[in-house]
Amino acid sequence: MIAPSFAMLCAHVPGIVAVLNAEQFGRVLESLERNLLTPIPLCFVLGLICTRIHGGIRIPKELYLSIAIFLLMSIGFIGGHELAHEYHEHGVSTIWKPALATLFLGCLTPITSYLVLHYGGRLSIADSAGIAAHYGSTSAVTYAVANSFVEQTQHPANSFLPTLVTILECPGIAIALLIGAALTARERAAKGAASGRPVRQSKLGEALYEVMTGQSIMLMAGLLLIGFISTLFMDDKGFAPFYEFFASKGMLFKGVLCIFLLEMGLVAGERLGDLLKVGPFLIAFGILMPLFNGFLGAYFGYLAGLNLGGCTVLAAIVASASYIAAPPAVRLTLPEANPTLSITAALAITFPFNIAFGIPLYFEMAKWLGAT
Amino acid sequence: MQLYPLKLVTIVGETVIMQDIAKEAVGLGATGYTLSEVIGEGSRSARNVIVTGSSKTMKLELVVPMSIAEKILTHVSHHYFEHYAIIAWLSDVQVVRGQAYRID
Repeated sequence: MIAPSFAMLCAHVPGIVAVLNAEQFGRVLESLERNLLTPIPLCFVLGLICTRIHGGIRIPKELYLSIAIFLLMSIGFIGGHELAHEYHEHGVSTIWKPALATLFLGCLTPITSYLVLHYGGRLSIADSAGIAAHYGSTSAVTYAVANSFVEQTQHPANSFLPTLVTILECPGIAIALLIGAALTARERAAKGAASGRPVRQSKLGEALYEVMTGQSIMLMAGLLLIGFISTLFMDDKGFAPFYEFFASKGMLFKGVLCIFLLEMGLVAGERLGDLLKVGPFLIAFGILMPLFNGFLGAYFGYLAGLNLGGCTVLAAIVASASYIAAPPAVRLTLPEANPTLSITAALAITFPFNIAFGIPLYFEMAKWLGAT
Repeated sequence: MQLYPLKLVTIVGETVIMQDIAKEAVGLGATGYTLSEVIGEGSRSARNVIVTGSSKTMKLELVVPMSIAEKILTHVSHHYFEHYAIIAWLSDVQVVRGQAYRID
């Protein structure tokens, strides 16, 4: 069902730019303003500025890690709770299509990224596969910011979106690393034979195990399951304290998200100097690839029946790049890949772009596609 | 007090590989190791890879006899030097209770 619809959409691509009239352009600008001038992206900007002027903000590592744990647990728990309600009311009828679309996108984006980087950008196999692994996976923080944005615009996303985040986390990294490991194995063997040194065994299995059992997946998927089970089997009164802690009417979540984004701004600020090293191709890739992936996310979300908020959030997570789970996995599997390229693209280009401009653009794309 | 002459192998490198190197060193005959988080900068940007909950750079220290030190340094230089941000050095040390180590 998806393939013919996608072919039809491709036929209409040249017309997309032409139909953007002044009114729609004004709406895009309004969405950008509505997103940019809010505490979450502004805290990120503060972090960026602070690093550049050698300001005095220091977020203790333990606080940053504690916040990351809270955010992941909260996303998982509330997601599991909402998923249980959805399951109770509709069974799996509303979930299976978005889940399948997400899995498909998780498999597609690392392949398209690899092809663009290797053939378009003439990057080496290892560099292309390494960067593709980052862009095939997702960033939970981008999910949290996108979710805040759609709530702010009074278009909350479908309740099961956290499930889609966990689905998207692994396949992208796995596929890109498999491509990289398979294509570099021959090169490595030839090099080993020439130098007479033993060839280092690929650590692909170990790296994939690390990703599957990493903090993001364990906390988010684990709490999703806990939230799901406890919603189904606990009475409302007993469940309420847990729900209130993790949901906290959104207050605690949004507050700590500001602190997290401040730290992200500080870290991204350190990488800004590396932009000169990565070159114009990768800078363009870091902006255009998320736009392309985001459009695919919004489109497939729309086809799978997600609402406007859901399409926007799915677009944002498909467009985002992983900077926590992917880098160690890539270092273990593809040591030839230059980590400066992938981390700078993911953290200093794509992440800020999505937070500042991408999310409102995906919102407008979803609206344009007809999501309500 | 009797002191035993042994070698101290020190390896500083990116966190992502240091646990593996420690295990491999034990496999090559080291009786134990110390791994600590450190802060530093090198010529390779690879040390920028963040491993959740840990620092970017780690230091591995092993007190071993010369024969095992050679094996460890050869192994590390063959398998890790080309692509990873890593440095290794060897120093002479005098160890109390040195009989606990397999002296040559």
